[in-house]
Amino acid sequence: MNHDIPVADLGPAGEIMAHAVDACVHCGFCLPACPTYALLGEEMDSPRGRIFLMKEVLEGELPLADAAPFIDRCLGCQGCVTACPSGVPYGELLTTFRATTEQKRERPALQRAVRAGLLTALPSPKLFRAGAYLGQVAKPFKSVLPRALQAPLDLLPGRVPAKFDMPTFVPAQGKRRARVAFLAGCAQQVLAPNFNAATLRVLARNGVDVVIPEGQGCCGAAALHTGARGQALSMGRTNLAAFPTDVDAVVTNAAGCGSGLKEYPLLFKGEREEEQAISFASRVKDVSVFLAELGLEPMLPLAKPVRVAYHDACHLAHAQKVKAQPRSILKAVPGLDLVEVPEGDLCCGSAGTYNIEQPELAGRLGERKARNVLSTNAAILASGNIGCHTQIETHLRRLGSPMRVMHTLEVLDLAYRGELS
Amino acid sequence: MIAERLRSALGARKVLTGKAERMTYRHDAIQIGALPMAVVLPEDTADVVTTVKLCRDANVPIVGRGAASGLSGGAAPARESVVVAFTRMTKLDLFPERREAWAQPGVVTATVSERAKPFGLVYPPDPASWRTSTIGGNLAENAGGPMCFKKGVTGDYVKEIEFVDASGAVHRAARDAFDLAGLLIGSEGTLGLITGARLRLDTPPAFTRTLMAHFAEVGQAAQAVSRAIASGAVPAKLEFMDRACLGAVEGYLGIGLPVHAGAALLIDTDGDDEETVTEELELARAACEAEGGTVRVAANAAEAEDLWRARRAISPSLGRIRPHRMNEDIVVPRSALAEVVREIEELGREAGLVVAQFGHIGDGNLHPNILYDPKKESSDAVHALAHEIALVAVRHGGVLSGEHGIGSMKRDFMTDAVDAVTMDVLWRVKRTLDPRGQLNPDKLLPEVSA
Repeated sequence: MNHDIPVADLGPAGEIMAHAVDACVHCGFCLPACPTYALLGEEMDSPRGRIFLMKEVLEGELPLADAAPFIDRCLGCQGCVTACPSGVPYGELLTTFRATTEQKRERPALQRAVRAGLLTALPSPKLFRAGAYLGQVAKPFKSVLPRALQAPLDLLPGRVPAKFDMPTFVPAQGKRRARVAFLAGCAQQVLAPNFNAATLRVLARNGVDVVIPEGQGCCGAAALHTGARGQALSMGRTNLAAFPTDVDAVVTNAAGCGSGLKEYPLLFKGEREEEQAISFASRVKDVSVFLAELGLEPMLPLAKPVRVAYHDACHLAHAQKVKAQPRSILKAVPGLDLVEVPEGDLCCGSAGTYNIEQPELAGRLGERKARNVLSTNAAILASGNIGCHTQIETHLRRLGSPMRVMHTLEVLDLAYRGELS
Repeated sequence: MIAERLRSALGARKVLTGKAERMTYRHDAIQIGALPMAVVLPEDTADVVTTVKLCRDANVPIVGRGAASGLSGGAAPARESVVVAFTRMTKLDLFPERREAWAQPGVVTATVSERAKPFGLVYPPDPASWRTSTIGGNLAENAGGPMCFKKGVTGDYVKEIEFVDASGAVHRAARDAFDLAGLLIGSEGTLGLITGARLRLDTPPAFTRTLMAHFAEVGQAAQAVSRAIASGAVPAKLEFMDRACLGAVEGYLGIGLPVHAGAALLIDTDGDDEETVTEELELARAACEAEGGTVRVAANAAEAEDLWRARRAISPSLGRIRPHRMNEDIVVPRSALAEVVREIEELGREAGLVVAQFGHIGDGNLHPNILYDPKKESSDAVHALAHEIALVAVRHGGVLSGEHGIGSMKRDFMTDAVDAVTMDVLWRVKRTLDPRGQLNPDKLLPEVSA
């Protein structure tokens, strides 16, 4: 669409945003793919509408405060990117817009504090663990707390799982077939330590040497997507320095972190490290992609068939275009009956910090997702993202379902150990 | 102020007045219009009546809107107006025993077939935007779609409509006596606001086969169409796309389309007798090969679906080539197709503008799209070329709009296509139903000196 965005004044960020706005032909193919449009049914809460609003703000035609509520309600799931025939890089537009406008935002003090707290605690497993213990203690008093603090508590597990100490190296079993570096992830180390334990076992079992660089930190995605670009940049720099280049791949088992790392070229656009970021991002692979390409070592057939539903995390399916590989590695388990979730392309509502900042909409999407998952009658729901995992599990339990929710690699790990049933 | 009056009559929930909200309701998929004074989201016919009456009293124009995926400027307000967006009127009642459905205008097109499927029924009209577009918008533009060659367009599936006229009166119009329903269908919101429709459902064919053929040159593809139909095949769908379209769609889907071909045809045959369906597909294959085409038959339903997904994505994919476009929607006699397609390609070359062509070529429906970058190419040159293309259609005995409507995009060309006497009749109809000219002004009918 035509625009008068002052590209020269905005620098590299301006170019990114202008290019995205340019590409939109406002055809509306994005509407059925948008979770907030599905819930609210209004243009302002659709990708097409948000592109209009961002354009008007950038052109100075609309105050940021008028557009902000609608931009804030976007989950950033990028379902619209998959649906867009014109190739609008909506995710880049949104991320860059949030990053360039955040400092102009006026936010209530409590909201500011919760945001700051999240952005401090999420990237640090130590702080996050401390926060999670605190949350455990605070849970019974939830109803007397301000709303802004209730949502995070809802998502905390009743009991924080025992700590799993990440090794720095895991050697391949048998003949070595590859060598990779592994990103440990932040929140998932605290909330679901078995994701990493299972992933490392499966990688080793498949002849992969895994290096877990000690100097690594948070990928920075949460910071970048909430508009804290400076913090994201410094986290990115830490990782660029920490990860070795002489590996076959940089592997992650968290969809959000994987997309975060793949966004480094966008984050570092116009920075000194731009080239390095491009090269780093090109080596990043979700563990499902890495294993599908490597080819799995065979597993023994299951004693009796197990029905498994696979949930597409938005950050895998839409942001990274990874849909086939997780399914193919699950189907490699002899006797595993893989089923699809209805409305599978629709976001579960977790979306980074969305379920904390927009609890009402996140809750409606979570419940809708859980009902769709239940309709599959599967014994296990597999997915590749801690955020989706927490959200869907919370809503399944709320609906009274005992269905097991697992990481794709946990399913494989059990299959290798002959314990999947 | 009209916005406040609407708010107090309908309640805040149904009326959007903020600038941000209004800004997102001023366009369709081709034009960006004037900022609406207010946006009304009616939930039933009574809300529409209230809105129309208040606007009439305040002398404010009204523009109806579905999902705004239209391609002629129909839903983009040409001047300050109240936009009535029907997206909350989504009630759909099925009457399988009568093979009918009653749909409110906000029902998404694809939903009708999805809901009818368990009863073994289908709603055939299938505009490319069917997952987005609404029944109301389809009715206003009399939308077609690939199926139209064998099955017809939206208007062919409407038994009765309910509409609100410019005075706020509610009418029920069937297709008997004067075909008032037919008059409203395709009137682009200029004669009334359609608030419901009784739709005819059909049984889906038991068998469908799909092929794609590609050709070195566009004219060959057009000739293959005439040959296939002359040889007795009645394809269910017969679609055409040129090289520019193939490239744009391949950039989106990456499914291995023949991007170096000059043009491609996508052909479906269907029916309840498998042998006939295959026979017809073979006739089409022979015709394509006789014109020098390379044929690939879809091996299974998934492959066929991929090809159709490619077809449906053409129009929006063109944004990959240039950010802006002028979309034509001409229909020409099938016998003239090869010549028309070549002439248009030549006109584009002469003007130095990119023209992409595709369409439901089986019934002579072509969509030449002029692609341009307003920062680099003059919109006057684009408009002049569009006019030339319209004249090609008229010269070959064709019409200006097959399915997207005239809207604001092709309004100027109407005087080339419609004689003065007929134009006078059209205006008299308009004045009878909308004496004050409040319904979607500056659309469809060009101003004529009295």
